[in-house]
Order: sequence, then structure tokens, then C-alpha cells
Amino acid sequence: MKGNKKTAIGVILCSLAISFLAGKEFIKMKEPEPIYKGEGVTKLKMLSDYFPGIKGTNADTEVYILEGKEKGGSTLVLGGTHPNEPSGILAATVIIENAKVNKGTIYVIPRTNNSAFSHNDPQEGSVQRYYIKTKNGSRWFRFGSRATNPLDQWPDPDVYIHASSGQNLSGSETRNINRAYPGRPDGTFTEKAAYGIAELIRQENITMEIDLHEASPEYPVINAMVSHERAMPIASTAVMNLEFDDITIGLEPSPVNLRGLTHRELGDYTNTYAVLMETANASQGRLRGKTDEALVLTGIDPTYVKAQKLGRLYVPYDEQGHSIEERVGRHTTGVLELINALGELEPENLIEVEGIPKKDELVENGLGSYLKDPM
Amino acid sequence: MFYIYLGITLFILVLVTFNIFEDESIFGQLNSALIIIPLILRLLMIK
Repeated sequence: MKGNKKTAIGVILCSLAISFLAGKEFIKMKEPEPIYKGEGVTKLKMLSDYFPGIKGTNADTEVYILEGKEKGGSTLVLGGTHPNEPSGILAATVIIENAKVNKGTIYVIPRTNNSAFSHNDPQEGSVQRYYIKTKNGSRWFRFGSRATNPLDQWPDPDVYIHASSGQNLSGSETRNINRAYPGRPDGTFTEKAAYGIAELIRQENITMEIDLHEASPEYPVINAMVSHERAMPIASTAVMNLEFDDITIGLEPSPVNLRGLTHRELGDYTNTYAVLMETANASQGRLRGKTDEALVLTGIDPTYVKAQKLGRLYVPYDEQGHSIEERVGRHTTGVLELINALGELEPENLIEVEGIPKKDELVENGLGSYLKDPM
Repeated sequence: MFYIYLGITLFILVLVTFNIFEDESIFGQLNSALIIIPLILRLLMIK
């Protein structure tokens, strides 16, 4: 068929219409999911209060502060370092909406890499959002990307050189905040966001930092806690107590030659005890089948069951999958056990907190029971 | 640097749009029409 001016105008109009519809969907990704302040939240700050260099940019993010009446230790919980790892964001939200601190202070950042929530990865077929039923409604949460939005930081170099160590990584890792620590005040967008987190830790003298992640079931570091060497006594005590809670979890020392990660750099460049936790998330895995909201929430995937039978996975996997309740519960229980271990080993840094549900409660009552109804 | 990047994007967008009118094959026109979608979205800094 021959083309002419009329067909040219026709196909251009089609392109404009598709651009309009696609653009509307992409713009929707910039809307943040609502997170409601629980009774225990005593203050809400922005990360730019600690590092003004990110004020007015997409790197700025909310810092929820839950301060007890009595002085004690302090802990910083990071959710949303990677917004395609939902259990970290949800565990941080559950803490914000339920925890009441009597002694010490808990700081929570649910959207650590705020920019990475505003897009998701091309060719992954990921959902843009997923829904959790609450008692009287339904809450939505964003499924974002592992990395900063290219609209905020672009282009990627061929090789990413980690600033403080000189380590070479793949170019795309330049937008991964968990390869950017301790950050630089005059660095890239992502390094500035990482610097903001490090500044918060330094200025508030945070005793312990806990970074909540998920990993593909075929990734070796999974259902695990990774700890900086200074935090190892706390992490090992917590891991033993988690085993008593029937939560099987591995303990890994933070590798000294893998740079830019929270458990390495925040431990090296600040006085905090740096720990990271991982749960199993099929919806980010390479071996996954159909990628939809159900996979995010249930982890049920026949291809992973098959992979388990072939011995390709590092985590048990059956027809039940790994539900979001189980994954969030592993994180909330882990946070509680780390806080308990910190208080046991350093009584002057005791944090007394109530209201955070453990894994058994989450599995029994459902995640929605611990989220506020939509307003 | 940012505005140079946007300028290059606009330049390619204009060239490809011009090519749609020049192309005598409908499939060639459709091909070019597909290419301009990401260029429009990037020029408007939407994606």
C-alpha cells in the first residue's frame, strides 16, 4: 500500500493519541501512595532538613519520627531503597502506622529512593501499583524501579566508578542508591540522596540502621540478614532469637570489597550499626512466569516451584509461594529482634516499642488489619 | 547540557516527522510514527 500526505497525517495523529494515553499513565506514576501517620508519630521531617542540597528535587523524601518520652537508643528503618521490593516499603508503612515508642526513637523513611518510585523498569511488565484490602477499604501502593528515574539522572556511564572506593560497577548501577553510599554533597542525583541519609544518621546520632530489601528467589543472599562487622554481635543475637520465633534466616558478613551498600558504607562512614535484611520476592525474579498483582502479593508461581525442584533456588519454594504477609512479617519481626538485641547488649541504647505486629500476627490477621483505612 | 540534549531530541523528532511525509510506503510511515512516540514523551520529560 502506498503512503501519501493523508496517510502521513493519519499516522501522526495516531502517534499523538498514543503519546497522550501513554503519557497520562506515566504521569500517574509520579503520584505518591498515601501513608498515614500513626499515633506514635511525633514529628515529620524531610530528608532535605538534613541535607538542603536536595530540597525541591525528587530526591527529597519524608522522614517519620517516633520519639518516646524517655531517652534511649535510636534506629533508622529504610524502606523503598528499591521500590520493586514491596515488603520493605510495606513493613516501613506498618511501623509508621502502628508503632508506639515508649523509650528511645525510631526514624522511618518509607520511600528511600523517592525518584525510583516514579517509574518502573522497561520490558519487565511490572504492575504500576498493587492493592491491599483493609478493614473498610483498599489501599494502593506503588511498584517502582530498582533505580532512580532517568528523568532525574541521565545518561548512565558505561562503567560506574564508586566515588569513595574507586570500585567499577556496571553503568546502570550509577542510579542504584544502594551502590551510592556514603554519597557526595556534590555528586550525582543518587549520590546526593545517599548523602542525605548519611547526614541524617550523623546529625541524629542514629544507633542502628536497618535497610529492608527483597531479592529474587534464585539470588544467593535471601531470607538473610547482612551485617557490618561492628553490628555483628547485635545481628547474631537477633538471628538466634528469630530462629526461636520459627523464622529461618541466614547471617552474612558485609563483604569488604563490595562497595556502596548501606551495610558497608554507613557502617564505615558513620557510627551507626548497619544491617540489611532480605526476603523472597518472585515478582522481581528472572525465572518468574506471569507478572501481575497476584504474583506481587502471593509469590505463587509454578515456574519457581519447578526451579526449586531442579535445585536452582536459595529459598524453599512450594505451591503456597511466599505471601506478602510472610515477607512483611519477616521484616517487622527482624526489626523487633534487632531492637531487642541492641537493648540487651547495650542497655543505654534500649528502645521500648509496642504495636509492631510480628510475622505470625500478620499471617493470621492479614496485612490489611495493620494498615489504616483509606481517607 | 540538558537543553542541548532536548535540542537533539527535537531535531530528530522533526527529521522523523518530515520523513513520514516523504515516505511513499505506508509501512515506512507507520515505522516512523512508532519512533516519534518515545521522542515526544522524552521531549516533554514524561518518560
